[in-house]
Amino acid sequence: MDFLSLFLMDFVKQLQSPTLSFLIGGMVVAALGSQLQIPEAIVKIIVFMLLTKIGLTGGIAIRNSNLTEMILPAAFSGLVGILIVFIARFTLAKLPRVKTVDALATGGLFGAVSGSTMAAALTLLEERNIPYEAWAGALYPFMDIPALVTAIVVANLYLNSKKSSELAYSSMQESFSNKPVMAGDYSAQQSYPSSRQEYLSLKQGSANHRVKIWPIVQESLQGPALSAMMLGLALGLFANPESVYKGFYEPAFRGLLSILMLVMGMEAWSRVGELRKVAQWYVVYSVVAPFVHGLIAFGLGMVAHYATGFSLGGVVVLAVIAASSSDISGPPTLRAGIPSANPSAYIGASTAIGTPIAIGFCIPFFLGLAQAISGG
Amino acid sequence: MAKPAKKLVIITEKILLKKVAQIIEESGATGYTVMETGGKGSRNVRSSGQPNVSDTTANIKFEVLTPDRIMAEKIADQVAVQFFLDYAGIIYICDAEVLYAHSFCGPEGC
Repeated sequence: MDFLSLFLMDFVKQLQSPTLSFLIGGMVVAALGSQLQIPEAIVKIIVFMLLTKIGLTGGIAIRNSNLTEMILPAAFSGLVGILIVFIARFTLAKLPRVKTVDALATGGLFGAVSGSTMAAALTLLEERNIPYEAWAGALYPFMDIPALVTAIVVANLYLNSKKSSELAYSSMQESFSNKPVMAGDYSAQQSYPSSRQEYLSLKQGSANHRVKIWPIVQESLQGPALSAMMLGLALGLFANPESVYKGFYEPAFRGLLSILMLVMGMEAWSRVGELRKVAQWYVVYSVVAPFVHGLIAFGLGMVAHYATGFSLGGVVVLAVIAASSSDISGPPTLRAGIPSANPSAYIGASTAIGTPIAIGFCIPFFLGLAQAISGG
Repeated sequence: MAKPAKKLVIITEKILLKKVAQIIEESGATGYTVMETGGKGSRNVRSSGQPNVSDTTANIKFEVLTPDRIMAEKIADQVAVQFFLDYAGIIYICDAEVLYAHSFCGPEGC
């Protein structure tokens, strides 16, 4: 009961916090059909600044901390990222009217990390004076990349196996129908495809390509969010950026976060319509999944808490990044990696429902859980 | 005076920018123009000014001038085969006459 009341109190407080109130404000504004626009270039700069700040914080902290503490949480992050994809493979993909590739892409996106959700969680932890390891933000890539790679690899393996079984079937059919082939016909049959239809059929047959893992890792590292964070980490680690950090990145952080939240709210609303066109199970999944993923990560985080003294604030960060679903760098990577998956399904599920749930419900939920554990 | 050419127009998703550009360059075309666009097609309204946090919904429009129809069709076929099963896109071709250009001026034109 204690925990429940803590959570409810937290939730009401969280509704009034700048983070969530701007998110809801964005949704309301979009729902009313307002013409309010935030230019895309500004959104890009904000994403850059937020993640650079998180990177700088981590980099500066890593300089004077013991990095061996990070090994276990980082390993758990990777584990959770991979696990989330397989959870989607064996739950969401089995539901009626859900295509397996769509489910895998959704799983990948929910396994990947949202920089804005993480920024919101870090801000809230600071407001509550809950200590967390400053390198906790650096757990981001350890979960993000394994989740995206797993989703893309599993989806392509699935597509290849499906294709080869289809191919075996069709070639068997062909061998029955095409038996009497004259030797002279051969050259004509092998000619260059001239019509678009022939091109298309050619592609279907020969596209059984193997998935390469490295380009996916490379692409996610080169994505705007991760490269900004890596840059911040490196600068914090090797340079002395304290003066700009204190004078510019730190003070601007919360204000910029509120603008980003507004945009996310508007984006979430505009995606709801798209989500309506795909199976309703995505709605169920994107409400339940953030809690399930977060709880798994919370459990693993508690293991690290007892084993190596990982702070409770850090456990919350780990749970929140597991609960979050990528909205900045994940979608383009998945779109390129699993082109046949329907983007309306996975981006709709993540942006319209997953992210608001993660920010509005999961952050206060895991904070409350951590406070209940530390209090009790 | 003016040299006849074909103008190939490819409108597709922004995410394909680099890949389509590579196909065009490999085909031997000497250049192309790219614009960011929005609009409506069979895959619904795409990128018309709404703020969005990822680039997945923006469209681009390539314009390529090619000396003949064969090169234009080669580009179009490759782009269509590689991408248009899974991505939004349309390709069309028009007649054009090049008035001033560096690389297009043949023996008889401009």
